[in-house]
Amino acid sequence: MKILVTAKRVPDPEQKVKVQGDAIDLSGMNFVVNPFDEYAVEAALRLKESSGAVDEIVVLTIGSKDVTQQLRSCLAMGADRGILVEGDDDSLDSEQTARIIKAVYERESPDLLLMGKQAVDGDNNQVAQLVAGKLDLPQACFAGQLELEGDASAITVGREIDGGMEFKKVPLPSVVTVDLRIVMPTAVKTAGSKDNQEYAEGPRYASLKGIMQAKKKKIDEISVGDLGVELEQWVKTTSVETPPSRSAGIKVESVDELVDKLQNEAKVL
Amino acid sequence: MAQYAADVRDIKFVLFEQLDIDGLITTERFNDFSRDDIAMIVDEGYKLAREVFAPSNEPADREGCTIEDGKVTVPKVMREPWKAFIDGGWLGLAMNPKYGGQGAPDVLRKAVDDMFFGANISLNLGLLLTPSSGHLIEVFGTEALRKTYCEKMYTGVWSGTMCLTESGAGSDVGASKTKATKVDDHYLIEGEKIFITFGEHDLTENIVHCVLARVEGAPAGTKGLSLFCVPKFLPDANGKPGEFNNVVCAGIEHKMGINASPTCTMTFGANGPCKGWLLGDENRGMAAMFQMMNEARINVGMQGAALASAAMLEALRYAQERLQGSHIKDFKNADAPRTAIINHPDVRMMLMRQKAYCEGMRSMLMYTSYAFDREQAAKDEQEREPWSAVLDFLTPICKAYCTDMGFRVTEWALQCFGGYGYLKDYPAEQYMRDSKIASLYEGTNGIQALDLVGRKLGGRGGGNAKAVGKMVSKVAEKAAGHPRFGELGKALGVALARWGEVSKGLGAAAAGGNMLAPMLGATQYLGLCGDMLMASFLLEQALIADTALEKAGVDPADAKALLAAARTDAEVRFYDSKIKTARFFFANELPQLEAKARSVTSGDTSAMDIVWPELA
Ligand SMILES: Cc1cc2nc3c(=O)[nH]c(=O)nc-3n(C[C@H](O)[C@H](O)[C@H](O)COP(=O)(O)OP(=O)(O)OC[C@H]3O[C@@H](n4cnc5c(N)ncnc54)[C@H](O)[C@@H]3O)c2cc1C
Repeated sequence: MKILVTAKRVPDPEQKVKVQGDAIDLSGMNFVVNPFDEYAVEAALRLKESSGAVDEIVVLTIGSKDVTQQLRSCLAMGADRGILVEGDDDSLDSEQTARIIKAVYERESPDLLLMGKQAVDGDNNQVAQLVAGKLDLPQACFAGQLELEGDASAITVGREIDGGMEFKKVPLPSVVTVDLRIVMPTAVKTAGSKDNQEYAEGPRYASLKGIMQAKKKKIDEISVGDLGVELEQWVKTTSVETPPSRSAGIKVESVDELVDKLQNEAKVL
Repeated sequence: MAQYAADVRDIKFVLFEQLDIDGLITTERFNDFSRDDIAMIVDEGYKLAREVFAPSNEPADREGCTIEDGKVTVPKVMREPWKAFIDGGWLGLAMNPKYGGQGAPDVLRKAVDDMFFGANISLNLGLLLTPSSGHLIEVFGTEALRKTYCEKMYTGVWSGTMCLTESGAGSDVGASKTKATKVDDHYLIEGEKIFITFGEHDLTENIVHCVLARVEGAPAGTKGLSLFCVPKFLPDANGKPGEFNNVVCAGIEHKMGINASPTCTMTFGANGPCKGWLLGDENRGMAAMFQMMNEARINVGMQGAALASAAMLEALRYAQERLQGSHIKDFKNADAPRTAIINHPDVRMMLMRQKAYCEGMRSMLMYTSYAFDREQAAKDEQEREPWSAVLDFLTPICKAYCTDMGFRVTEWALQCFGGYGYLKDYPAEQYMRDSKIASLYEGTNGIQALDLVGRKLGGRGGGNAKAVGKMVSKVAEKAAGHPRFGELGKALGVALARWGEVSKGLGAAAAGGNMLAPMLGATQYLGLCGDMLMASFLLEQALIADTALEKAGVDPADAKALLAAARTDAEVRFYDSKIKTARFFFANELPQLEAKARSVTSGDTSAMDIVWPELA
């Protein structure tokens, strides 16, 4: 089977965000693979390693040539091939992204489209759902656990819900998004998993061997035009501003004063 | 809480904009590596350093190492990063691919060690000693020894140590008493070594010691020392650790810093036979060690610079957050809002000084390591000579200057924290404690200075010094003809001339039989060389930055436009800061060169002439 994983580059979430005029200041920003997408790559690799049923993991990204760097780091983790759809990744909205992914899906016809639940830059959490709708495929979002059937005909997705886990078995092909817990030591299982197999928590680090092999792996570069996708912008940015900074706290003299402030100023009581 | 950061932008600046990296990766030896590969290795190394190494740094320091019945336990938090490093293949980064290494240039090893040392020096010490001692076996061992040990060591299955020091043989290695007696194809080793880093621990299934010992009947002093490979467990027929080889850890030291690095007293053959295999020829042990010395000394210099850089970035962060006092422009207004301490001129001076030394040291260390790579990759003697000359001269300076100044930087960083810096709640004090060791081991800085004046200064019939002079004069000349750096170019020229005079004077004194003057002046002379080299490397960086600004469409001559652009554009900010750093160093630090020159040439012998009271 073939797994298609999407990976977006995002500004390193550990950096401070600065606003310049009407946009976020990206100069000098360090970019990383969106953490949830990195988890999706990790999940795909675990599926491949333990099942023996996965022939190829393809990683798709949309962006300028610079994004090749993040794509290579997914290949260095162990993915097999990359696809770079050239486009301006800053201005794409969820609809446009979904259209591009749909077009690539149709070219590649994978058995599983595995995505991060959201990108940590816009935090939209829309693309996977849109893609599944457009392709009329089953979807299961926020996977915290995955278990692949022995014949790779279906996958059981454990989703965290209030008060526990919910398990859904979805036939393949389908669209699955992953949540943070998918990188826990025993979150991904297949018929080939050993009983007490445990992975190190978190997405794996690229090994030096992986890095040196990554450069020999293929990256297909496709333009949006090649895919025949119409890009209509649904979302327009009108302005960008930083949230107001928190003002300093005050010391209250008495409990009564506290209650009064909570009631009349903060209006939380 | 500590939040380790490395100056990745500056590391890449040196790698890609200052060094002729293309000249290196087009050599046959390194042509497997592209710029992209190198950049990616730096990025991935940083991830590992920041996310896996750094969180263990403080807890490992607090937990320390323990010993029970000869078994040494290192802090538990070190196990995961140790394994991640090994699994990722980082241990073999610059080692021979024939034995499982990756064959990368040493300068790339330095680039990532800047981050690994900064993130947890104790941990990286053990990890770096292993390939270094493995390398001794590769170069000096027989084919059989290489087969048995090298791959195991380059892939981190077994770890390694260097055993030189004894209680009576510290700086004076030649006083070693450990004995070796030949039996068949091997030797029996008997003796005690002290202060052995990672001599015993619970991280690998076997530990391989490279031990200096004296074969019975060999001459006294260093000329009678031989080098041996002594495993803790003798490898069995399948290459697995077999019979115990009577290598015992008798105790560990309680130290000021690097608390997570076990410093062990090791006894060989006290309770039964301990077998060792000769590396190289009998009585050539010191020569073998010396061959590895350049690498090891640059490594230790990098420890100084790496901790300095980590401490400096912590200080910078703190200075931006800590509010105290009012801004200078409000000095008359008692009600003025409190300002971040980074706005106080004295704090700015401290930060700038840290920045200047950090960047100058990084540049010098990487250049020296680059020279090492060029030496290794050279096709013939003619190509090799100039690199070897520079490498020889710069190595003791890298070791001593970068560890002395590195320590000072950690002290200035702590100073920026005020009283909080003295507390264990903040990371500054640990950097300072951890940093101190680097001026002591691998030959104390005093011994480095003697090596510089005694061996390196006159080495190659003066060729070493000439090569360094040429390197500095190139920068001085380039700057002298530059519309914006003429003054600095001239100042570097003056420093160079002064250095030349002082160097000649020392040479002449030694030639005239006055050994005392060079010995008394050695440490100051080394500092003088370091000051000149800092100036040269920082000025070279400023010239590169100036060109980069022009390329980016910012006029470096237009101070106002530059300031505005630096406020909004991180790249402009970076290059602009390079220029300001060079100017700062020339104005505020380089003047010390003259003071050192006067000290070296003073002819003062009071230190020898004084009669000290004898303390009981
Ligand atoms: C934490 C730690 C880890 C270490 N790890 C290792 C290791 O892994 N392997 C190993 O073999 N060793 C190791 N060492 C030992 C280290 O290399 C020695 O401590 C060092 O070489 C100095 O020797 P010493 O301590 O005996 O000092 P001494 O030689 O007694 O020096 C004392 C002072 O006298 C000066 N001095 C001595 N002789 C001269 C001279 N001829 N001219 C001018 N000045 C002189 C020195 O510069 C120094 O200032 C380690 C030490 C420590 C503390």
